[in-house]
Amino acid sequence: MDMNALTNLPVFLWLIWLPLLWSPVVYLIGRLARRRMATDTAVARWVALIAILSTWLPFAWTWQAFKASGPLSYTLGTITLRLDGLSLLLATAVLALSTLVVIYSNTYMHGELGESKYYAMLVAISGVMVGLGCAADLFNLWLWFEAMAITSYLLVAFYRDQAASLEAGIKYLVQSAVGSVFVLMGIALVLAQTGTLDIVQIQAAAAGQSDSWVLLAAGGLFIVGFGVKIAIVPMHTWLPDAHSQAPSGISAMLSGVVIEAGLIALLRALAPLAGTTTTWGILLIIFGVSNMVVGNLLALRQQQVKRLLAFSSIAHVGYMLIGLGIAIYFGEAAGAEGSFFHLLSHTMMKGLAFLSAGALLYVMHTARGEHDPLLIADLAGASQKYPLVALVFSIALLGLGGLPPLVGFMSKWQILVAGFETRSLMMVGIIAFVALNSVLSLAYYAPMVNAVYRKRPSTAVLSGQPVPAMMNIPLVLLAAAILIVGFWPSLVNGVVQPAGTALMAAFGG
Amino acid sequence: MSAWFIILTIGLSWLGAVCVWLAGDNRPRAQHALAVCFSLAAGAAALALIPNTADKAVISLDAGSVFGLFTFVADGLGVFLAVVATVIGSLAVIFSVEYMRGEAQLGRYYALVLLFIGSMAGLVLTGSLFLMFVFWEMTALCSYALISFYNDDPKAVRGGIKALIITQFGGIGLLAGTLAAYVYLGDYQINTLLAKAQTLPGGVLSFIAFAFLFAAMAKSAQVPFHTWLPDAMEAPTPVSALIHAATMVNAGVYLLARFYPAFAEVAGWKTAVLLIGLITALLAALTAVVATDLKRVLAYSTVSQLGYMVYAIGVGGVFASQFHLFSHAVFKALLFLGAGAVIHATGTRDMRQMGGLRKQMPVVSVVFIIGAAALAGLPILNGFWSKELILEGGLENGPIWAYGGMVLGAGITAYYTLRMVSLVFFGQPQGKKQVHDAGSPMKTALIPLAFGTLTTWLLVGLFGSWLQATLPYHELHTMTIGEMLLRIASEPATWLALGVIALGIAAWLLRGRLAGLAPALSGFGRAAANGFGAETLNRGAVALTQRAAAALQVTQTGQLNWNVLGIMAALVVVLLVLAGAA
Amino acid sequence: MTTEFTIIAGGVLCLLGVGLYGLLTVRNLFQVIIALQILVKGAIIALVAAGKISGQINLGQSLAVTVIVADTIVAVIGLALAVQVKRLTGSLDVKNLATLRR
Repeated sequence: MDMNALTNLPVFLWLIWLPLLWSPVVYLIGRLARRRMATDTAVARWVALIAILSTWLPFAWTWQAFKASGPLSYTLGTITLRLDGLSLLLATAVLALSTLVVIYSNTYMHGELGESKYYAMLVAISGVMVGLGCAADLFNLWLWFEAMAITSYLLVAFYRDQAASLEAGIKYLVQSAVGSVFVLMGIALVLAQTGTLDIVQIQAAAAGQSDSWVLLAAGGLFIVGFGVKIAIVPMHTWLPDAHSQAPSGISAMLSGVVIEAGLIALLRALAPLAGTTTTWGILLIIFGVSNMVVGNLLALRQQQVKRLLAFSSIAHVGYMLIGLGIAIYFGEAAGAEGSFFHLLSHTMMKGLAFLSAGALLYVMHTARGEHDPLLIADLAGASQKYPLVALVFSIALLGLGGLPPLVGFMSKWQILVAGFETRSLMMVGIIAFVALNSVLSLAYYAPMVNAVYRKRPSTAVLSGQPVPAMMNIPLVLLAAAILIVGFWPSLVNGVVQPAGTALMAAFGG
Repeated sequence: MSAWFIILTIGLSWLGAVCVWLAGDNRPRAQHALAVCFSLAAGAAALALIPNTADKAVISLDAGSVFGLFTFVADGLGVFLAVVATVIGSLAVIFSVEYMRGEAQLGRYYALVLLFIGSMAGLVLTGSLFLMFVFWEMTALCSYALISFYNDDPKAVRGGIKALIITQFGGIGLLAGTLAAYVYLGDYQINTLLAKAQTLPGGVLSFIAFAFLFAAMAKSAQVPFHTWLPDAMEAPTPVSALIHAATMVNAGVYLLARFYPAFAEVAGWKTAVLLIGLITALLAALTAVVATDLKRVLAYSTVSQLGYMVYAIGVGGVFASQFHLFSHAVFKALLFLGAGAVIHATGTRDMRQMGGLRKQMPVVSVVFIIGAAALAGLPILNGFWSKELILEGGLENGPIWAYGGMVLGAGITAYYTLRMVSLVFFGQPQGKKQVHDAGSPMKTALIPLAFGTLTTWLLVGLFGSWLQATLPYHELHTMTIGEMLLRIASEPATWLALGVIALGIAAWLLRGRLAGLAPALSGFGRAAANGFGAETLNRGAVALTQRAAAALQVTQTGQLNWNVLGIMAALVVVLLVLAGAA
Repeated sequence: MTTEFTIIAGGVLCLLGVGLYGLLTVRNLFQVIIALQILVKGAIIALVAAGKISGQINLGQSLAVTVIVADTIVAVIGLALAVQVKRLTGSLDVKNLATLRR
């Protein structure tokens, strides 16, 4: 391949390849520097920062190209990568959050065993997720999905001298692997029935086979297989363990973008089968409701902050599923847009919640060499010593609870509007139930806010260390985004609407 | 012009919130000063809106997609409530300068108070249902944070979360109504709903009407959602004044008054409103009779007076209800701030440990008694005129039994008011503490309110013509001051009501002779403390949720084998659903 | 063709059944990983067969090879974690691996 062909590659490919190319570089430089110099220099963190920042360049170009001429695609042999609105949405969320997590981890992960590996994985997973969003055939989709899973196993079980961390990693690995097998079985059925794996061609082939039980079973397998990663109830059992045991930056990534990437993978796989039955939408709504109930009720009784936040992620997936179900079953574009808006806002809010809870965990326990979990009781009086972290943590929690003028309210609203747009009495009932769940969730968010603002500090706060300055940067940026988009929700229309259009097009045919 | 004043009214409050926060807790003097300046400025901006009212939107921004136009309208009703919120709010802030002196975390306190005032102004000035809901929820958020301001006190935390959950629960009604209106009308504008209400399918209109009523009941603490308001008494007292007089609870009555023209024709709606008002007014008044906590008596009196306003709307007296809201805002702020001065001085809220404060706190006792007389409905204070207007409207347009109930309520109100005043200010001092009269910031807030209690009824004509001019959809029964005087003085109903009030007063004075009734009342006192079953309902719902959660926790075993079973169960369910549908 | 297909389908279902049954019942962590392997083998055969049925033999087989590679990585990571668990806790029983619950 000559240089000309290289420069002619569409720019969005660089969005995928750049992080993947950087990843070994980060690792190697990190290891070499560690061998050559004093033990705790850890160059990897700075190389990772450069790597992730450099990815914004192809992102900006891709953005312009997409705005100018719509979806971009690239075919090499039989493999096609296509960047549409949905891919762009995922890429935006992934890149933004991973940049912030790299900055955040700068002190959080400093001096940990395997720091270079951590950054290499973190940079790699962001490229993998962008790739996942661009996959245009089922094989590719599975491959990216599996790559994401493998990378995240290593990140979840990062503290390999902690039994709890290993336990979470193993459960995550086994359950994900079972889900992955189901996805493969679904792919096999689709291949056997239609003779192709390209999403567009499957759609054409499936159009005439509305009663094919093979394709129905394939769709069911996709829902269950990808559902493990999305933490659809009752396949959610790994999530609270994995999200609470991972390093906090990774918890933010897992809750903020990885489960959402799984959701987008499911939508991609399900879209070509849309013509076979209308039940897909109903299934998503049913699972959405059960996710909300289980997530909220289980969160209600947690004592550990990160575990509570993990359960709340299950509930928030429920909102997204309901919005998507409305979009698919009733053909309401507002449902898809609302869901994708909620996906973005969940990325911001849950990212911030995990990062700020992690900051408190760091200053109270980790930095002092302890591996105790952060309890709600530890939060008491945190505002005395850590006013900024306390404020942004409260903003994240109240946003998750759906209080205006924070972004979580606006995105939930859009989903609720879509529910009413259907004018179906059943749907109105479900929407009322969704709203009720939102109120219920305040019963566990609010006490944490109260605890943070107590006057009598807990012993953990009293013995806590100061928050490292660099950790504040991602916290402040995320909090500002939550407030600004909350006041003016149409700021994200540029990302959310193309994603909604892409989904409706994929399902509408 | 009015666009700028609207922006200033809301914006100055919020800007003040940010400034106070940024000033930092180690500069309390600056925080007090900033809070007072910004709240006064916001109040001035709201007052400046009075000559600039209009019935059309003066600010309109397109927020796109499903969020509609963000509009603000400076019509009479909105400006009136914005003035109440900001002016009485700024008096509460001035009062706080003394009440909160030396407290920690002043930044959080003032920032939330100012945010609260600004949100309430936004709630009444916006012309968009969507924004109304946003501000509605923001007031809930602020009230929650302020009620549980003393986070170390578990009772305060419980009270705050209870207020949040109950008002949010009611908020679902506003949400559902707003969404239904949006879906069928195509936009969120309040004026669109008022203009096109009759074109909506009948079922949809009554859905919206009852959904809004549900929301108003929770926000304005109507039975059976009233239990959060007494528990909200854990808040610092200026905040209580804010919630009861300037912001929060007025929102529900405002909602009903605003949409009355659209919903009046909905079958059963007016009757439901009337009944809720009647039951609330009576039960809350009876509960106030047995309460011993000074702030709780005032809280129940608020619930009861809100019942009067709701009742007034139920009989078509939108003007009377708003006029009573006006009077109530003034005298209730006075009473709460007066009670705050008493509590600040004595260090207790239990009326049985007060007594004889008349000599030690002469200024506070005079203004408090003025406020109490207005609450009791004694002529010629503002509470008298507005309550009489409500009662006469009820006699004219409502059923006679409801009228009878409300007159009885007026008698009970007089009884508990007199009981409260005599326990606190008369008799023998029960407390051991040396008590001093209020300082100058407190007096600065109390004296204008006392003056207002004596005089605001003179504004009736102005108030009426001003509302009439800018509310094209409302048919108000306004009157000039002369008409009001003539009408109230000539109606036998007035004398009947005054007679009942006198009976209430006599009952307190002769309580020794009525001692035989005490055992009969004790069972009633227990029922009242339980909020007449509403509290049992609350506790039941909480216990049920907790039990369900505990049961569900069993499913999270942590066992790998079990987790895999979950995946297989999901597969079976999905395949069964698909097979069933195919 | 039909008999061949029936045999393959039966084989695939058997492998899936054995794998899932193993995941539901075995308690040794190494055995869990082996059960997982059996499960994946079923899927691999299904992919090859699907390629054959639809006439896309190349596609089916290249898929299968890729899955084998990915699956090996997963198995390696799983075993590594299992070894580490044994080192830390001295046990491989998954029943003891349930400290994170509720």
